[in-house]
Amino acid sequence: MARPVRKRTLQRWRKLLFLLALATVLLIAEAIGSTALLKTGLATGWLLLVLVVGLALYNLRKKLPFLPLGSAVTWLQIHIYMGLFSGILFGLHLQWQLPRGIFEIVLALLYSVVFVSGVLGLIVSRVFARRLSIRPGEFLFQRISPMRHQLLNQVERLVIRSMETTESTGVPEFYARRLKPFFERPRHFWHHLVLSNRPVSLLLSELQSLERFLNETERDVMRPIGEFVKQKDDLDFHFAHQATLRYWLFVHVPLTYALLCFAAIHVVLVYAFGGAIS
Amino acid sequence: MPTSDPPIRRITPDDVPFSPDFSDADLDGLLVHSIFDSLDPAFHSSKSLRKILRMHSRIVHCETGDIIVREGDWGNSAFFVLAGEVAVELEPPGEFLPETSLGRRVSQRKNLFQAIAQLWNNHREPEYRDATKKAWTDKWTAARNDGRRIYFQDVPQLLTDFKTASMREGELFGELAALGRTARSATVFAVGESKLLEIRWQGLRDLIKKDAGMRASLDERFRSNALRSFLRGVSFLQHLTLEEETLDLLVREAQLETYGEYDRAGALTELADEDARRNLIDEPLIAEEGHYPNGVFLIRSGVARVSRRHHHGHQTLSYLTPGKTFGFEELESGWKSGSSVPFRYSLRAIGYLTAVILPTALIEKVLFQTKSSTAPIRPADLPEQLPSLHANDDGLIDPNFMEFLVQERFVNGSATMLINMDRCTRCDDCVRACAATHDNNPRFLRQGPIHGNIMVARSCMHCQDPVCMIECPTGAISRELNEGEVAINDATCIGCGACARNCPYEAIRMVEIRDDQGLFIRAEKDRKPITKATKCDLCVDQHGGPACQNACPHDALARIDMGEVASLAAWLDQ
Repeated sequence: MARPVRKRTLQRWRKLLFLLALATVLLIAEAIGSTALLKTGLATGWLLLVLVVGLALYNLRKKLPFLPLGSAVTWLQIHIYMGLFSGILFGLHLQWQLPRGIFEIVLALLYSVVFVSGVLGLIVSRVFARRLSIRPGEFLFQRISPMRHQLLNQVERLVIRSMETTESTGVPEFYARRLKPFFERPRHFWHHLVLSNRPVSLLLSELQSLERFLNETERDVMRPIGEFVKQKDDLDFHFAHQATLRYWLFVHVPLTYALLCFAAIHVVLVYAFGGAIS
Repeated sequence: MPTSDPPIRRITPDDVPFSPDFSDADLDGLLVHSIFDSLDPAFHSSKSLRKILRMHSRIVHCETGDIIVREGDWGNSAFFVLAGEVAVELEPPGEFLPETSLGRRVSQRKNLFQAIAQLWNNHREPEYRDATKKAWTDKWTAARNDGRRIYFQDVPQLLTDFKTASMREGELFGELAALGRTARSATVFAVGESKLLEIRWQGLRDLIKKDAGMRASLDERFRSNALRSFLRGVSFLQHLTLEEETLDLLVREAQLETYGEYDRAGALTELADEDARRNLIDEPLIAEEGHYPNGVFLIRSGVARVSRRHHHGHQTLSYLTPGKTFGFEELESGWKSGSSVPFRYSLRAIGYLTAVILPTALIEKVLFQTKSSTAPIRPADLPEQLPSLHANDDGLIDPNFMEFLVQERFVNGSATMLINMDRCTRCDDCVRACAATHDNNPRFLRQGPIHGNIMVARSCMHCQDPVCMIECPTGAISRELNEGEVAINDATCIGCGACARNCPYEAIRMVEIRDDQGLFIRAEKDRKPITKATKCDLCVDQHGGPACQNACPHDALARIDMGEVASLAAWLDQ
């Protein structure tokens, strides 16, 4: 029996249809306006500015959780669909042409980066959040670094013990060459984002190969290290995904403020040099 | 460890008796009152009675029309009438006293300016408290005198127009809500000038523990007073117009049973630690699958597990919360088919549970062959039954998840924080919102047990049966009057940590408080930092409800009333 469509999926389709209907109305209105030789650029420009300001207000809402301003879910949904709609408006405002002049190019670039980063952020939020559940453990982002250091210390203790008991340099050498760089900081960021296990598999196979050259005592020491490598890899996986989930906003939000400033100057310039009102 | 100077005195339970003005003379006068005549003479003359009364009781003077308790408010105390007369609204409660006349006190919410002012008023230092002695005194005073007078203006008219019962010197009321940690079932107001002894539930509990006569008397009072209104609320009896005679019969024949230990939080804590099989076996069995039903079970307080045998173990199917029933379907099927139908499931108490049992013969007599009609009721006339039990019959909730919820005792929550980890981006907007609304101190941890993609965060669940309250020596942790949120009065919390130890969900954190320079405030005597219990208060003083839920942009976090299986299923199925 086919699984019934979920409420959330239905809502999403409804919103998309509404957005398409709105975009169609906008395109028709613009076409009629252009045919009638009206200054549609002025209307689309103001509408776009209002939309961008409205979109930026979402960040303000997040700073005021104690005010009854509605739920963040509603705000984000409005933010997403208004953002997508602004893309169409932006195209219309530019009349689907490349901007001319340095200022306009910078302004258009700023908008484009904010728009694209927003879309990517949305995709990342939906995809990466789900991915975080596929690896064992749930780690608070702030605690990943201390946990990594803890693992490093545990491995170091094992290596020192091996050195003291066997007086062999097999394990310490491998530690200095391969393990220390691995445990010292987050590794294989991009590999984790594309769900590749290659680097850690390689390290584990090197670890296994090394066992041939170790005596029994050293092998006993090395055995738990393999487990620590897997734990560290899980930490790296969570770090890569959580960092991306957090840091894309460091592009999206500051550039939004820059965009607002440039847009304000753009309005002043348009009116100052008469293009809009003449 | 840097500490604040000058130190302040660490408050002890003796510093926060229910009434600071309760003198030895008052106590002596009280003990000769007839309300204590029935007590065991040895206990009557003991020091422990004096201590209980001194710590947990206070004298309340009422003027004509004063509302003493209101239906729907959460009760933390009971009242003895020492002098004068009070009136209680008769059943069905809530139908004659309009909400407006009850002057419901809304929890003190911040006004708009106070809310915005949190932007700059929140302290940079964690767990800031005003360490000056004056501030502490003021807060204590405020905490002690937090009630405003709410009263009816025209009492004679009220008594003429509406059905009430009078209670006079020596009578007790409010004890069921106080001891059951439930809402008040009726409104009580003063008919004339009256003098009452208000006793906190902790004190009442101690009295019952130490005096068998008092215990028996309370059981009898439940049967004669509250059982009647409880039965009127039972869903499968509601379609009948219960005549007084029928109701009398039900009240007379109904059995009252308790399962588990009333004042032992450990029962929940320890059980939550044990493995599922051991856990289930240790739970008091109320009704067993395969046995013939001796009656219908009506859950009055607490939570019960519904399970059925599965190979060599038991599979949890659902859980029942107060107001839900068990065993009716079997009786109904048996009556229709003319043969006995055994219980299809087992019912076990999780923690402390009270139930009312309506024996089979009584159900058959009252319901199936009702005296109010000449012919027996046809099966088709019977109402749809047991929605709670069947809410999950369509497989709406994964059976393993159901098992997890019951095993970990999360079904006790009325505002359990569930996080869908497939949607949560770990942005911590929920934590930041919580901190912003609590003077920069987050009141929960975005961590906790995970089953599948659902995390139950370590946040106060505002339990139906808040076992954290059991050992609080000052009553600092209690239910809010209107909505019943479990909240801590910071001014009367002595930092003993009993609530944190008793909470099976690790939702209460003991924190060391600091002054405006971030230095620990230490006690005058031992110079150790002063601690306070902190936890989620469901943003009772904020606009718009829990900030955590409102702040989650991805619809990943929800506060769910676990008593509503259907709404839990709906949220999980989004």
